[in-house]
Amino acid sequence: MPQIKLQSSDGETFAVDVEIAKCSVTIKTMLEDLGMDEEEEEVVPLPNVNSAILKKVIQWATYHKDDPPPPEDDENKEKRTDDISSWDADFLKVDQGTLFELILAANYLDIKGLLDVTCKTVANMIKGKAPEEIRKTFNIKNDFTASEEEQVRKENEWCEEK
Amino acid sequence: MPFISKDWRSPGEAWVKTDEGWEKKKVLENCKAIKAESSDEETMEAAEAEQAMQPHCQITIKCTKEIAGFNELDEVVKRLDFRSAVKDVRRFNYICALLDLLIGQQMTALSGCAQKALLAMLEEVASHVTKSHHNPRGFRRLLTKLRAVSVAEKSSCWGGPLGSQLLWDQHSIKINKILKMAAQMQICEPDSHPQLLQLPEECIREIILRLSDHRDLAASAQACETMANIVDEQRVWRELTKFHFNPQQIELALNKESFNGDWKVIFNSLKRTYGLSEERQYAEMLSLCKYCRCLFWRSLGHPCIADQCPEFRARLQEAGGLTPPSPVPPSAFLKFFSL
Repeated sequence: MPQIKLQSSDGETFAVDVEIAKCSVTIKTMLEDLGMDEEEEEVVPLPNVNSAILKKVIQWATYHKDDPPPPEDDENKEKRTDDISSWDADFLKVDQGTLFELILAANYLDIKGLLDVTCKTVANMIKGKAPEEIRKTFNIKNDFTASEEEQVRKENEWCEEK
Repeated sequence: MPFISKDWRSPGEAWVKTDEGWEKKKVLENCKAIKAESSDEETMEAAEAEQAMQPHCQITIKCTKEIAGFNELDEVVKRLDFRSAVKDVRRFNYICALLDLLIGQQMTALSGCAQKALLAMLEEVASHVTKSHHNPRGFRRLLTKLRAVSVAEKSSCWGGPLGSQLLWDQHSIKINKILKMAAQMQICEPDSHPQLLQLPEECIREIILRLSDHRDLAASAQACETMANIVDEQRVWRELTKFHFNPQQIELALNKESFNGDWKVIFNSLKRTYGLSEERQYAEMLSLCKYCRCLFWRSLGHPCIADQCPEFRARLQEAGGLTPPSPVPPSAFLKFFSL
């Protein structure tokens, strides 16, 4: 199987099957646009992804290489935050920093499946929490003034009723 | 230890010691977590059983008075391996919903075994939630109910609980343990880098678009300004509405209301009219196979007679094709038992 070399921001190169690399739409369009020859030992630089994250992304893509393609983007896509396969759930048992870097990488490389599952994982961390708990979970500063906070609370009051 | 029945006719059953006392071996065949640490030989045996069978449970569907004694909640709970299902993010909500229905007035009417199994499950939920901070709202709801039960029970019958005093003492110890665990739950702030608000806005939007509960949206709006601005966007509410309601319902609401373009209003009025459907809320539900009368987790599957016997399968195909297993929401699950 033809391979392609991906270079992370810190200079490490990874040899990956082209088919696996193509789950990233960014890489796929680039290959199509450039018309890469198979004999050519071209290195693709990925300046926005460091080697630790790139390794994880490749690991994810390798595991999911045989997945059926995701359905065409329509607005009513699956919203269930907890619909995460057990392999993915295990794969994403990482610290918050890594999780967010994976989101950034998935966004930059345009890998829908990975972006979906990482966002679901973060959404799960929001789920069922009170505003104060959400702030604590993500180390967010409360940037509302007292009156603003009161206003936002009022706007959302109807949600509390059952 | 094999056990031979009194009249020497039935083959008897092997009993295995677990954390929760003695269990019949056939109950244990399907579960992973309960088995107490014991000799190597036994663990090997358990490992074999694990590979052989996924959790599933035969059940008599129509629960008449005569049958009620055979459909035992605690046995089903063990066979379907509910305790380790708590740790599976897809099944967590289902288990919580089930506990929510069971804890309350009904709990004290259950058999002692079932009560024990229930509290063991709740303890598992408590330890999972306090460790991972997953969905504390659902957990708090359970705690409120649990407190109510223990208060009500203390004063139910001349100042003492009905039924076995010993059993209730054990329960109170466990309930206190669970409440203590909940009280100690603390979210510590992470210091890793990057942080949520350092993500570009489109990424935060992607995250918020995946929230399926309006209360979560409201809470994140109250957390900080960036999120409040995103939650205010019409797209978020439009997608939420389209997720929870079908096109006909939405169409009707759009025509009826003097639609001013605010999807938040539409969602709210639809929610009041139709309520939120139960099935949308669980990523995974128990399923019931029509052919072998078997309850099982959909993602794990079960040994089905239609798969094992090609002739039977062929006959079914002739008779109009295989019908897929039907989902069993929590309330339907409880109907199998005389509760």
